[in-house]
Amino acid sequence: MTEEYGVGIGWRPEIAGFVADLPGLRFVEVVAESVHDHGPVPEGLAALRARGVAVIPHGVKLSLGGAEPVDPARVAHLATVAAKLDAPLVSEHIAFVRAGGVEAGHLLPLPRTREAVDAVVANVARTAAELPVPIALEPIAAVFDWPDDELTEAAFLTAILERTGALLLLDIANVYANARNRGTDPLELLDALPLERIAYCHVAGGAEAAGVYHDTHTDPVPPPVLELVSALSARRRPPALLLERDGRYPPAEQLRAELDAIAAASGYPAVT
Amino acid sequence: MEGDTWGISGPDFLGVFIFMAVVALAVAIAARQAVLRGGPSDGFATLDAQRAAYLNGGPQLAIYASLGFLRQAGAIGAGPGRMLVTTGPLPAGATPLDRAIHLAAARKISARGLRHVSGVERALATLRQSLEDAGLAATPAMRSRARLAGVLPLAAVEALGIVRIVAGVANGKPVGFLILATLAVSVALVVMLVVRVPLASAAGRRAIARLRRDNAHLAPSQSPAYATYGAAAAAMGVAVFGSAALFAADPAFAEEAELQRNVAASGASSGGGSGDGGSSSSCGGSSCGGGGGCGGGCGG
Amino acid sequence: MSGDLARRQADLVAALTSGAPVPPGFDAHLVGVARTALLRKRAGEVARAWPMLAASLGSEWQATFAAWAATRPTNGSFRDGFDLARSLRPLTGEAARELAEREAAWHYDGESPPTRRSRAATTARTWLLRLRSR
Repeated sequence: MTEEYGVGIGWRPEIAGFVADLPGLRFVEVVAESVHDHGPVPEGLAALRARGVAVIPHGVKLSLGGAEPVDPARVAHLATVAAKLDAPLVSEHIAFVRAGGVEAGHLLPLPRTREAVDAVVANVARTAAELPVPIALEPIAAVFDWPDDELTEAAFLTAILERTGALLLLDIANVYANARNRGTDPLELLDALPLERIAYCHVAGGAEAAGVYHDTHTDPVPPPVLELVSALSARRRPPALLLERDGRYPPAEQLRAELDAIAAASGYPAVT
Repeated sequence: MEGDTWGISGPDFLGVFIFMAVVALAVAIAARQAVLRGGPSDGFATLDAQRAAYLNGGPQLAIYASLGFLRQAGAIGAGPGRMLVTTGPLPAGATPLDRAIHLAAARKISARGLRHVSGVERALATLRQSLEDAGLAATPAMRSRARLAGVLPLAAVEALGIVRIVAGVANGKPVGFLILATLAVSVALVVMLVVRVPLASAAGRRAIARLRRDNAHLAPSQSPAYATYGAAAAAMGVAVFGSAALFAADPAFAEEAELQRNVAASGASSGGGSGDGGSSSSCGGSSCGGGGGCGGGCGG
Repeated sequence: MSGDLARRQADLVAALTSGAPVPPGFDAHLVGVARTALLRKRAGEVARAWPMLAASLGSEWQATFAAWAATRPTNGSFRDGFDLARSLRPLTGEAARELAEREAAWHYDGESPPTRRSRAATTARTWLLRLRSR
């Protein structure tokens, strides 16, 4: 299915120099909206492409879970970026980011209802029709749930994936966050998901505040998340795993240590 | 014609004079550049952050590069009265300039006052000497020769013009156009006299340009994460991109210590720079990567 | 309650961004936690787009931004910062300079998205700015 890229890291301009110096790196992910569709690709990304590193555009603002049809301009942008970067696939979220003409500014959870499944499936179909490559869908971490959930998370995700034929971007940190906040067993979810659909995984850090665990992407990866990586790899090793860090970047040794830890937990070679 | 000054007609002389002036200007510029050519281009191998800073922005930028390094390493900060203070020990890899600045900060000093501290002056002089030895910086002798080379050809033409004017007036001939032409030469002369002779030789400028390309990830517009890159990278960022790099990396410190903003502003003009900074960071990768929508205006 | 996803999503977004009441059935405490986390995230993004403004407020940045943004949904971090900076005038020091430079480079009426001025206009305005600040 998807090529085995091993361990990668989210490309950010702030740490572009660090990413460029990773000798064993074979793939990165870039926020699709940060790449302009006119003009040249950011220099750091172009250099990685020249080296043969795969770049996956990761959309954050398409709002595939919105009741409103996805904006064709945003879909076109994602498709353009995918072509520009010669990407093997793209990814987006099972979430919505705007409603009633107002931007939420963040990824918001959907009700786990059949109506919501229909909305996501319709938008993914509209998007996939314009894309030159497959799309992987990422379930998000939710701080709260909707009052009228009909389906379990596993059933909700599986329904969407089967009806769209899309790949799965399994964010292991989100799995951990949701299980921790809901008091459920993350392994139960893993066992109920179609693991063969996984294109790649996200691994990220978070922190607890006021009794709620937030998937911040600005903190170190906690040991339980790495344990989940091992547990997943024991069941069915994902083709690729991506370290997601968005801010408060730590010294290079710490980032390297995290990349090595993910490699060790999944049995892939170190990229540092 | 009868009575022509020196036996050359006015229009003929004017034509030749203007031609000579243009040639003199070209010669002056070329001669100036030739004097400043500098050493072989492998001088790059010896160019560390502090030397690069000196080359790019003189002693002031060398000091700022050192401040960037010390600040990132947690060794200095800004204290009461906008004075520099030490906040930690001298880090590993410190140069003599770093040591001198750290020492001065331990006794409290303003950023402006650093320039006149004797230890700092000595370290700066050593930096400059090593740059001159490597052919990357022009020696004072070279710089005065360059200025002279830029001035002499034009001065000669100017002198000729003045002599001709005097002769023409004595001869009762019209000298209006000649005066205008000589005035133009005077303007060029003043410009060549006044315009700054760069510190860096051509080889030095090439070395800086290469460093800037190799360190593009440290450009302020990329918001480089110096915690990841390390303190030495902070020195290089300042060296290659000017004091704007310090302001971008640590705005609170830069403002409290009253650092000058525009030392060796490079690459993108500072006028468009802040605008670019605005648009690039509002659509920057990390701001959108936190798993959240960025809000309107980005990416199509 | 089905068949009305669009309206219910709009109600939720309004509760998170505009101070509207939490829709029925949701855990109000958790929605509040999400609202706070959202403001914190926005504050970080605006600080990145307007570093001098954020630095000038120091430890007060989070609180100041959160108070200002509590009922104002985002228009993007650049525009949010622009609006906030203007509302905090008169600014001093580097924050003032940052706003002035951007006023010179962008035309922004507060209603529609900012547009860049022409190169010539930007240069002229920036020049005037430097002269005035001498």
